[in-house]
Amino acid sequence: MIFEVIERSLRQPNRVIPVEAVLGNCDGSRMPEVIAARLTPAIAQRLVEVCPTAAFRIEEHDSRPHLRLSYGECIGCGRCFEPSEGAVVTAKTFSWCGHAKDQLVRDWDLDSRTEVGPLRPEPKVVRGQIHSLLGRALNIRQLDAGSCNGCEAEISALANPYYDLERFGIHFVASPKHADMLLVTGPVTRNMADAVKATYEAVPSPKLVVAVGACGCSGGIFAGSHAVVGAVDAVIPVDGYIPGCPPTPAMLVTGILEVLRWGPS
Amino acid sequence: MKENTPAAVPIGERSAWEATLSLPRAKDEAVARLVTIFGSLGSNRERQVHYVFDTGDACYREIVLPGDGPVRSVVLEVPAAAWYERELHDQYGVEITGHPDLRPLVFHDNWPDGVHPMVDGVDNVPWSNREYRFLEVQGDGVAEVAVGPVHAGVIEPGHFRFSVVGDTVLHLELRHFYTHKGTEKLFEGTSVHAGTMIAESVSGDNCFAHAVAYSQAVEKACQTVVPPRASAIRLIGLELERLVCHISDVGGLCTDVGFSVAAAYAVRIKESLLQASSQCCATRYWRGIAVPGGLRFDIDSRKLVELNQAVAQAAREFSDLAQLILSTPSIQNRFETAGILTRDVARDLAIVGPVARASGVDLDVRRDHPYCHYGRARFGVPVTHYGDVMARARIRIEEAAISARLIEETANALPAGSVLVPLELLGELHGSSAVESPRGELYYWLEGHNGRLTRCHIKSPSFQNWPAMPFAVVGNIIADFPLINKSFNLSYSGCDR
Repeated sequence: MIFEVIERSLRQPNRVIPVEAVLGNCDGSRMPEVIAARLTPAIAQRLVEVCPTAAFRIEEHDSRPHLRLSYGECIGCGRCFEPSEGAVVTAKTFSWCGHAKDQLVRDWDLDSRTEVGPLRPEPKVVRGQIHSLLGRALNIRQLDAGSCNGCEAEISALANPYYDLERFGIHFVASPKHADMLLVTGPVTRNMADAVKATYEAVPSPKLVVAVGACGCSGGIFAGSHAVVGAVDAVIPVDGYIPGCPPTPAMLVTGILEVLRWGPS
Repeated sequence: MKENTPAAVPIGERSAWEATLSLPRAKDEAVARLVTIFGSLGSNRERQVHYVFDTGDACYREIVLPGDGPVRSVVLEVPAAAWYERELHDQYGVEITGHPDLRPLVFHDNWPDGVHPMVDGVDNVPWSNREYRFLEVQGDGVAEVAVGPVHAGVIEPGHFRFSVVGDTVLHLELRHFYTHKGTEKLFEGTSVHAGTMIAESVSGDNCFAHAVAYSQAVEKACQTVVPPRASAIRLIGLELERLVCHISDVGGLCTDVGFSVAAAYAVRIKESLLQASSQCCATRYWRGIAVPGGLRFDIDSRKLVELNQAVAQAAREFSDLAQLILSTPSIQNRFETAGILTRDVARDLAIVGPVARASGVDLDVRRDHPYCHYGRARFGVPVTHYGDVMARARIRIEEAAISARLIEETANALPAGSVLVPLELLGELHGSSAVESPRGELYYWLEGHNGRLTRCHIKSPSFQNWPAMPFAVVGNIIADFPLINKSFNLSYSGCDR
C-alpha cells in the first residue's frame, strides 16, 4: 500500500513555479493598468461612474484635474475596461502593495496625460535576498476578520506544490503566539472586532500585520455596512497592504516578501 | 424557460394561524420541504413574512403573511424553520410566538436590544454588552470545550461549544455569524448591475453560483431569456466550480486524517484547474463573468477547448486519486461510521446538497428545477444512505466525475451567437431563482423598482445545513470533529452573510 503511494508521488513531475515567475505575476486577478497616453477627461469621468467601490476618483490639484486610482479599493471587477476605449487594460504585472494606504494610490494628470508621483519600481526581491530577509523562518498566522473566504482559498493555495511557500522558509502556524506575522483578510465585522484585537495582542512583539484583499485594505464592497467596523487598520495597526479581490497566490507571495523587505513601520 | 416561478399566495382574510396550519404538502411527505423564510417591507413599510416551500412541483410555492402582529412559529411542524425564524426576529423584529429558542442569532453581545436593521435606521448603532447564554449540559464528568471563533488554520471564524464526557461529545452548540456583514441590507438601493458584485462576495469559493443565481432572479424579474450560448457557458462555469470545490473537499478530508500525499495531490489538481480558468477567462474563480442578461464577455472557443482539456486531465487524475484514497485501509477506518447524519434528521432540517444526498435525500435543483442548460443535459444524481464521512466523500467523488463529463459535453456542442441581451428594467421587479451550488440549493429572491433593488434575500445552503452538523457530531469523539466538519464543508460567510 505505502509503496503504491510513494510510487505515485515519485511519478509526479516538479511543479514548483520559479520565484522569478511568481514575483509581480497577477494572472487571474484582473487588476487594472492605466495607459496614460489614452486618457481623456471624458474617459476618466466614465471610469469614475462605472467603478463600484470608488477606486477611481477625479480630484483637483493646483486647479488641474487628476485621475486617482486606489488599488486598495479595487475589487478587480473589470467594469472599467469596456468604457475606457483602451485606456484601462488588464495589468500584466502587479506589485503594488504598501506600508500605508496612500502608497496604493496612483495619480495621473489629465491635462498632460502623464503619471505623477513616484513610479513604482519592479519587484526587487531576488533569490539570494529572500533567505537573508527571512532568516529562513517566518511564521504566519492567518486571521479571517470577516472575509467572504475568497482570500482564504488563495492563501491556502500558497501551500500547494506550485507556489510552495515553505521553500522560502515561510510557515503557517496554528497559534498567534507562534507567529511573526498576522495576515488579516476581510472587512472587520462588528462581531469579529474583539477577536481581532485579542489575536493581535496574542502575537509576540516585534510583529508584522498585513491587511489582505480589497476588504482588508479598505472594506471593499462591504465598506459602510452597519455590520462592518471597517478595514483592518480601523481596529489594529497595519504594516502592509496587499490589494486584490482576491489577490492571487503570486500576488500574495510578492506582497509578503515586499512587506518583509521594509520591516515593521 | 421552465423555472421555479414562485406564485405568491394571497392570504386575504385568513389569519396567520390558519395559514401556517395548512402548510403545503409534498407527495410523500407530511410537510413540503422548506426552502426559506424571510422578511420584507410592503409599500407602507409594513412587515411581511415570506415562506417558500418546494412541494415537488416545477415551481416553488411562496406564502406571504403579515408580520406586524405576532406570527406563530412553525418550528414544531417544520424544524428547519428554527434559524430562519430567529433571523427574522433579529433582522425585522417580528414577534414570533411559540418558538422554543429565540436567543439572538445574527447579532452578538455588541448589538443593542431592539435594533432591527432591516426596519430601523442603522447609522451609528451603539455598542452594547448584552449577555448570551449557551445551553448548559449538567451531570457528572461533563466538561465544556470552547473552540473559536479564531481557529487553528486558514479557516473562517465561528464558535463551537462542546459538552463532552471524556472524549465523547454529548452536545455541540454552534455560535456563528462572526462574519455577518449585513449583505442583504447592502443590496437595498443598489442598481441591479452592481448587485452582481455583492452577490459574488457572499461566499468567495462559490462566487459563480451566487452570480448566476442572482442574475437568473433578475432575468426572471425582467422576463428575459438569456441567449443559449450564455446559458451553456454558465453551465460550464457552474460545473467547473463544483469540480474544483469537490476536489478541494476530498483533499481537505485527507489533510484532516494526516494523509498528506493525497492532500497535496488534490490541491495540485485543483490549482491546475484554477490556472486553466485564469488562462481561459482571466479569473481563477470565474468572478465578474455572469451578469443579469447573460455574460459580460464571450469566451473564445479555442480557449474553451484548452479548458476542456485541462478538465479532462484533472478528472482523470482525480479519479486515480480517489481510487487510492478509497482503497487505503486507514482512510476507510477513519471515514466509515464517522459523523452519521440520519435521513430523518436530514429531512426534518431540510438539508440540501451533497450532504443531503449522502444521507439518502434525493434532491438536486439541476434535475428537479432545471435552469441554464441543464434541461438539455443528461446526468444522474448519486444518492447513498449511509450518511457518514465516507458517504459524503463518495458522493463528491462521483459528482466530480459527472461535472467533468457535463463540461466536456457542453463545450463540445456549444451554441453560437451572442452572450448578452439588454434588460428591460423599468417598473416593478420581482423575481427569484434557485441554483445547485457545490454546497446545495442556493436561492435568491429579489424585489426592485426601475432598476434599483429594494430587497434581496439569499438562502444559502450553508445556512440550511449548519444546524444539522451537531447531530452528526454527537456521539463521536471530539478528535473526529474537524473531519466531520470538513465532510460537510459549509461556508461560514455564506451562512452569516
